[in-house]
Amino acid sequence: MLRYILNRFGQSLVLMLMVTMITFFLINLAPGGPSSVVRMEASQEERQAIIDRLGLDQPVIVRYGEWLVNAVQGDLGTSFNTSEPVIQRIMSRLPYTIELTVFTILVSVSIGIIFGVISAIKRGKAQDHVINFTSVIGLSIPSFWLGLMFILLFSVELRWLPSSGVGPRGADFELMTYLRHLIMPVVILSMTVLPNIVRFTRSSMLEVISQNYIRTVRAKGAKEAVVLYIHALRNALIPVITIIGVLIPRLLSGAVITEAIFGWTGIGSLIIEAANSRDYPLVMGITVIITFVVIVSNLLVDLIYSQIDPRVKNVA
Amino acid sequence: MTKRWLFLISLISFLFIITACAYGDEGGQADNTNDNGTEEVDETGDGPSQGGRVSIPIVADPTFNPWHPNAYAESNVINRVLFNGLTKFGKDGLPAPALAASWETTEDGLVWTFNLRDDVNWHDGEQFTAEDVAYTFNEITLNSELGANSSSYFNNVENVEIVDEFTVNFNLSSPVAALPAYLSFNTEIIPEHIFAGEDPWDLTSFNKENPIGTGPFKLKSYTSGQSVVLERNEDYFDGVAYLDEIEYKVLADANTHVAQLLSGELDIFALDDTSAIERIESADDITIVGRETPRFFWLILNQNIEQFQDVRLRQAIMHAIDRQNIIDTILQGYGSIADAGIAPILSEYYTDDVTRYDFDQDRARELLAEIGYEENANGFVEMDGEPLTISFDVGIQGDLETIAQMVQQYLIQVGIDVQLNTMDWNSMIDQVVIERDYEMSLNWWRYPADPDLTAYMHSDNADTGNNIPNYRNEDLDALLEAGGQASTVEERQEIYLEAQALMAEELPYLFLWYPQEVQVRQQSLQGIPELAFGDALYYTNEWYIEQ
Repeated sequence: MLRYILNRFGQSLVLMLMVTMITFFLINLAPGGPSSVVRMEASQEERQAIIDRLGLDQPVIVRYGEWLVNAVQGDLGTSFNTSEPVIQRIMSRLPYTIELTVFTILVSVSIGIIFGVISAIKRGKAQDHVINFTSVIGLSIPSFWLGLMFILLFSVELRWLPSSGVGPRGADFELMTYLRHLIMPVVILSMTVLPNIVRFTRSSMLEVISQNYIRTVRAKGAKEAVVLYIHALRNALIPVITIIGVLIPRLLSGAVITEAIFGWTGIGSLIIEAANSRDYPLVMGITVIITFVVIVSNLLVDLIYSQIDPRVKNVA
Repeated sequence: MTKRWLFLISLISFLFIITACAYGDEGGQADNTNDNGTEEVDETGDGPSQGGRVSIPIVADPTFNPWHPNAYAESNVINRVLFNGLTKFGKDGLPAPALAASWETTEDGLVWTFNLRDDVNWHDGEQFTAEDVAYTFNEITLNSELGANSSSYFNNVENVEIVDEFTVNFNLSSPVAALPAYLSFNTEIIPEHIFAGEDPWDLTSFNKENPIGTGPFKLKSYTSGQSVVLERNEDYFDGVAYLDEIEYKVLADANTHVAQLLSGELDIFALDDTSAIERIESADDITIVGRETPRFFWLILNQNIEQFQDVRLRQAIMHAIDRQNIIDTILQGYGSIADAGIAPILSEYYTDDVTRYDFDQDRARELLAEIGYEENANGFVEMDGEPLTISFDVGIQGDLETIAQMVQQYLIQVGIDVQLNTMDWNSMIDQVVIERDYEMSLNWWRYPADPDLTAYMHSDNADTGNNIPNYRNEDLDALLEAGGQASTVEERQEIYLEAQALMAEELPYLFLWYPQEVQVRQQSLQGIPELAFGDALYYTNEWYIEQ
């Protein structure tokens, strides 16, 4: 097991290095430049002064080397946009994205499993078709569009929910206000992963139900509820756990759009700011952090998986 | 069970219906003639009283330092309220006193003396003096290593000299008639007692956290990515404000601005997305007004390319485009046709008595034929077997892409093969403005309230400066120089009338229209002067909420 973890750790380091290298060269070679330089009304002299200050007169390869040396020592540099340390900017935003992601996983997993099970049990019946149909619709509707429609309906027309923001924090924090701010972003973000969980649960459940041991359980006279929820579901859920690991990167990218629409001040809106304004150090910092989160979550899922399913002992 | 599904299905269909209503085209365009310039005066109420909060959207985190290279539009709308300049945008469009009570210039125009107010305190209680003005200009603006915002307006300023505690002299290398106007345009004074000895761009404790200004409101709280809240400065020198607070909400998405305006969560802003006008007009408690601004939209042909140097080509393109139709459809009527660069808001200088280019595609074809272009079998024009193909590079922002598509269609109608490339804003500036690697482009200028367009049209500013079309004309250069240096309004009027005639004839830019700002606000918000939103921000101490 230790050997496996070390192996995975080594792979992750190589992966990390490649991701940062590709990102650094892509963002630096992309057309445009930092907003402070690429301003329409700035004069040539103003631009040159800022290029010199930011050290952008150096070749890209030299700058990558400098960045890497600092990053390895834990220094992700200073944001071009605000002159604040990159790590400070990311850490001030990360908790909001984690909140959104955790609530989304809770909502979509619990609803997704219920719908998945219903769909499997009522296979071929009306409920199954409706759930499948709704899943396809949910998967096909662009979340930015649906988000705007939600705002129009629930904020503008009905005035039930706040259209944007994370709600007051600190001393002014109120649970109800907080939940009201959460509802729309969580629902919209759930839409991007819910159909996957439903379909995954459904197929996994169908597979388990047709197993011989379920027939044996039924044969010994167990109630149908016990058969389904104690014997079938527990085994059917094992593969569902893996998909949560796979969904985390998707949630993070889905958060970019959702956060922009609902003014949710997480990493997603920071990514947009960093990319639009070509804040190279910030782009790099976010890339490192997100790559890290994705690698760690995948690793954790693999480890948990091998723990709960004894058959998958020797994954390495 | 079935009931639940019925409910879900009906909810989804309801959503579709809502969309159809919200985005449906009800036909007809906005008739904004009644909205223009008529200010609702509250005659029945008891007049303004203190209290209330106004919410304004900004699209990104601000920098609380007007000179900082990272201070863009979202910072300007805050810095204008936190700080004061020596002058401000007057309600008559001319520079009005702010930190400077009065100013005068010497006969040769080389020294401007500003008499400062002696009753102004910074938000931390320190007194505002000539030291602050001298520091701001000598150490920030004129320090070429910093590359401060707007510093190019002050290229002719040699230094700022302290005469006494409340008097400063601006010493110039050549006369600048527009100096008081430049001093009102994002050039606010920052406190010497905090900045002295510091690196002004790295002082995040001021620029990002705790700004100290002289304005009618001071910072109460700032949460990155969420909001900036300002509270009333009880010690303001020019009439203490009525509002308790001004809140700036960081909302990147323009659709959210409209939604929050309709739901009452936002109070006032300038609407960029004119497609939302119909929806806003149908709301009861929202006022929508058109406001003149010193801006003009333009189409440019790179004058470094020989093929585009023939003025008849530019004139043909002007005749080919139905500008009034674009104004009516895309701008929903909020704008007027431009023939030269000086906008109607500069009423002392503006004239429409110049060459005008009616929508006349036959005339356009004639002009093309005069140059020597002949129509080929594909319906496009060509010369010596070379078709006239123009690549058209446009940045994606506001309505620019839609406008560009219409322009493209009009030019194809007269046989010019236009290839439209849209790109993100940052890339467009890199390619068009910095590299000048383009053939045709479309954009707009917003300039200080002065007719001096040297920065945009003088040949000295071709290739590297803001003369993006790289246009060179000695006669226009001479007029712009004379106008920039002339000291009396009468002299300048005469020069700029001539300059406008020349601009319209020669078309350094292919002038499209002077857009009006579409200002939207809650009806309960009163005391807003009849100015563009950005300029009304100089008067936030006069804003109030009707009880």
